[in-house]
Amino acid sequence: MAHHVMIRKTVARGGLFAGYSAPHKSYDETFAEGGEPRPHWQKVVQTLEDMGPRELAHCWQQARRMIHENGVTYNVYGDAKGMERPWELDPVPWVIGPAEWARLEAALAQRARLLNAVLADVYGPQRLLAEGLLPPELVFAHPGFLRPCHGLAVPNDCHLHVYAADLARTPDGQWWVLADRAQSPAGSGYALENRQVLSSILPEVLRDCQVQRLASYFAALRQTLHDAALRHRDNPRTVLLTPGPYNETYFEHAYLARYLGYTLVEGGDLTVRDERVYLKTLTGLEPVDVILRRLDDAFCDPLELNQASLLGTAGLVQAVRAGNVSVVNTLGSGWLESAALMPFLPALCRRLLDEELALPSAPTWWCGNTDSLAYVLDHLEDLVLLPMHSGAGRDMLRGARLSRGERRELGDKVRARPYEYVAQQHLSLSSLPVWNGAGVQPRQTVLRTYAVASGDTYQVMSGGLTRVSASDGPPAISMQSDSGSKDTWVLCEGEPDTLTLPPAGQAIALRRSGYDFPSRAADNLFWIGRHSERAEGLARLLRSLLIRLNDESGLKSSTAFPVLFRALQAWGFGHLTAPAEQPDDLTARAQALLAVLFDPQSAHSVRAILGTLHRVAASVRDYMTLESWRIITHLDEDFNASGSEHGLGQVSDALALIDRTIMMLSAFSGLMEENMIRGPEWHFLDLGRRLERAAHTTGLLRSTLVDADDREGSVLEALLEIGDSSITYRSRYLTALQCVPALDLLLTDDSNPRAVVYQLVRLADHVERLPRDRNMPSLSPAQRRVLAMLTRLRLAEVEVLCRIGRNGRRGRLETALAELQADFSGLSDTITHHYLSHAELTRHLALTGG
Amino acid sequence: MRYRVRHTTTYAYSNPVSVCHNELHLCPRQCRRQTCSFHELLLFPEAPVVSRSVDYFGNPVTFFTLQEPHRALTMTANSIVEVAPFEAPPLAASAAWEDVRDGLREDRSAEGLEAYQFVFDSPYVAATAELLAYAASSFTPRRPLLEAVWDLTERIHAEFTYDPGATAVNTPLSDVLRHRRGVCQDFAHLQIGCLRALGLAVRYVSGYLVTQSSGPNPLIGAEASHAWLSVFCPGPGWVDVDPTNNLWPSDRHVTVAIGRDYGDVSPIKGVFLGGGDHTMEVAVDVTPVPSWDDA
Repeated sequence: MAHHVMIRKTVARGGLFAGYSAPHKSYDETFAEGGEPRPHWQKVVQTLEDMGPRELAHCWQQARRMIHENGVTYNVYGDAKGMERPWELDPVPWVIGPAEWARLEAALAQRARLLNAVLADVYGPQRLLAEGLLPPELVFAHPGFLRPCHGLAVPNDCHLHVYAADLARTPDGQWWVLADRAQSPAGSGYALENRQVLSSILPEVLRDCQVQRLASYFAALRQTLHDAALRHRDNPRTVLLTPGPYNETYFEHAYLARYLGYTLVEGGDLTVRDERVYLKTLTGLEPVDVILRRLDDAFCDPLELNQASLLGTAGLVQAVRAGNVSVVNTLGSGWLESAALMPFLPALCRRLLDEELALPSAPTWWCGNTDSLAYVLDHLEDLVLLPMHSGAGRDMLRGARLSRGERRELGDKVRARPYEYVAQQHLSLSSLPVWNGAGVQPRQTVLRTYAVASGDTYQVMSGGLTRVSASDGPPAISMQSDSGSKDTWVLCEGEPDTLTLPPAGQAIALRRSGYDFPSRAADNLFWIGRHSERAEGLARLLRSLLIRLNDESGLKSSTAFPVLFRALQAWGFGHLTAPAEQPDDLTARAQALLAVLFDPQSAHSVRAILGTLHRVAASVRDYMTLESWRIITHLDEDFNASGSEHGLGQVSDALALIDRTIMMLSAFSGLMEENMIRGPEWHFLDLGRRLERAAHTTGLLRSTLVDADDREGSVLEALLEIGDSSITYRSRYLTALQCVPALDLLLTDDSNPRAVVYQLVRLADHVERLPRDRNMPSLSPAQRRVLAMLTRLRLAEVEVLCRIGRNGRRGRLETALAELQADFSGLSDTITHHYLSHAELTRHLALTGG
Repeated sequence: MRYRVRHTTTYAYSNPVSVCHNELHLCPRQCRRQTCSFHELLLFPEAPVVSRSVDYFGNPVTFFTLQEPHRALTMTANSIVEVAPFEAPPLAASAAWEDVRDGLREDRSAEGLEAYQFVFDSPYVAATAELLAYAASSFTPRRPLLEAVWDLTERIHAEFTYDPGATAVNTPLSDVLRHRRGVCQDFAHLQIGCLRALGLAVRYVSGYLVTQSSGPNPLIGAEASHAWLSVFCPGPGWVDVDPTNNLWPSDRHVTVAIGRDYGDVSPIKGVFLGGGDHTMEVAVDVTPVPSWDDA
């Protein structure tokens, strides 16, 4: 149905709502027909009008800043720039009165009980099929009906723990359920975040209006998860299973995990042994009792469910079958989301609950029914069509938007397999005022509400996630869209309860370590350390090379240039043409260096390393401070902006970019150094950084100092510059540049944070503190290695190392540095093998044919 | 007939495998004409936990996990199975295929629902317009179901070439139809797709075939597992048919498991960590045993 925005009777109002009018023939949530605010809105409208547009604009700015600073984001798949899209929150809430809410609350709890009973039957005796209450096609032809999950043990008869419904109101004031969410409903975390933002920008309003709090819903959720445990019932370990940082609602997963006090895990963090689920932590395997999943059920187990899944945990279904772990929602619950169920709910409700369905679903026709098929084919133009296996709001085809030919084709498809299609009536939704920065405009709206199993009924969240359309049209029901959001205020008769999480009255036991630290997080932090240090080291070397591109005559590069270029080649850029082969072609050399900086094709360029750093950091955002995250994002953006505009750019621009990069990376390491708790997180991050710095400094010394040169002063100058040690050198030795003191400063001086030996001292400290079997009296393999290296380096005599042999080479230095290099790579392997080795690929056995 | 079945599968890996989860369909199920009086599964290395259960389709299924590093895995399933002979009913006496199709849609009895679930697309078999077109010439109006099924079986046998090199497990049915080549599994999937496109209920059967290499008609499919299909026909019930060998299976076909397609019943499914490259060897040995040699 097309919308014509027509002005209806507007009551003269001052201030904010002046000129606001709802679209013709729609139901406005805020203002009644006559233009006066509805009774339960009066206080909010009054307060907002008292604030006026200027103050509201100010609040709105504040809210946006908070959202940005809290890093509230929403990812959009398949869109590189879509990662980290900021969450859109409107400052005007949706207010719902107590009497109306009581009716909705009861209706939602009823619907959740009903769907739970339907799920129990379909994954159990399937009596509803035999009785003719549920067409068998809805089960047998639905890919979301997971046969391996049939008959799985379910504690407390609870199949559906968390349920959400998308609700909307039509012009006649009637509420409808547009869609049922039963897989792993998203959005409750955003609802919570919206409330926290609004309660800090409008604290008085929130208090004066007696708005119900959301915390009791989350307390019930925690209790339900606790009760779902089959083992360790006193103190079960619960994890929140996420598909990972590329999921659209990853922010919410991390946010809820923190709020509820659960460890956030990916499928690879879990392993099944002896039909039990364990979390792989640094200190070993820890049993898991309850999994709150945000991963679609079919992806949870590559053995029995979707074999193509890389996100799940092999053997999980069997662990559930054996009664050793509870998965919430139950594996297989996604099937309930099918819109094809809706026409059958009233009869199912009478049969299963002996009650009338309190809240109707949006008018829906399942084409497998002959009469419905005839109706749908006659009314394609007015209906929305979707596949039977999709939830409402997904994969929709609006008949009205199709051409006549397309409609005919669709009709043929439906006729060929009617049971695969569902049609829904397109409803005209109620409107709410939405702030656009200057004033308010009416926008259509949908409310997502949540219910969690509690005893033998459901507790409904007193609030929810309100979604408003971005333009005049209806809001998309699915989360993945442009729509904005609002906080939802449910008013209460008396005082709102004051429950907070964790319960305020209860004293918290002090502790000095965090919860379970998954090995995956350790692995990622280790690589953040390595990548950030590698980017900085490479940037420093490139800067020195670019500065020396021209000597004073401006015609050829300085004498240190070829030597440094060799170091660059040794750093994984062996393919670059050596300068000796093109002595005077400065442009070609500049291009080669800029490629090392920018080349998006090369996996080794600074730009590529920063890209990887950003990606790795994204997967452990829950361990990083907001500032450090911003630096990493900014670095990546800075490079992408500079590199792509005009090819590889100018040398001067490149130098400026390198300076910025080095500064940002220093800020990053400084932040980590100052702000990170000295737990395993810190040790792994710094291990990575120290290992990388030690390895590349050793490599740099080896490729520059082994071949002695009587003009090596300029090389030493460059080395000190790259090693950020020129000032120290000058203060100690004035200006005489010699190999022995320079090498001492960069290799064996343990007071210089850039020296190789200093890295070893730090490494020794880190490996000492890594978790290990304390019953073993001997040192760990990593400790042993670091200790041997440190001792050897401390005993080394720099003067001896610097002696030049008859062939003009420093043979001893060569041997010593080569040994060190091999040792560092061995140490990295030891650490990864010992602590991080599970990062192995999951594979399937070859299949047998006949 | 009574048979001893020995089915040995060996996986060898270039690198050690740290953990390996497996789901096996190697224990012959009980059927109307078949009883399994003995079954054992020998694993090397041995698994700490081996669980047996029954899957959604009523097949025995075994799960086990190896959690110590290993470079090879050998699974041997030994079974003794007794199969009664089967004689195809008079084909012309079966119901018209359209009546069978329409009956399935209405029937809510336990047997009817059990059959109806095999009418729909499954992960390996999607009924397409091409398959429907291929089946059409066999399914003329009002033709008795089994007569039409037999005609289709004969056509597949005549028009398709058995060629183990032509397809892999994941070769789509459209390729099999286009190239007219494949193995028993492809022919079973193909005929299942044709029959489901018509709205009939069809199951995939995985099992073994007893070859008598000295006999006049050596059959194909003995070296590894064999596959055929089973179509629902009111009256006789489920009737097996083997398009690879163009016959109604009798007591030379040993059933292991039934499902919608290969994916539901593949003999071995496994997920492992580590391992590098791996190779697989399968040996199947089915020998007739006299009834007194039962111990």
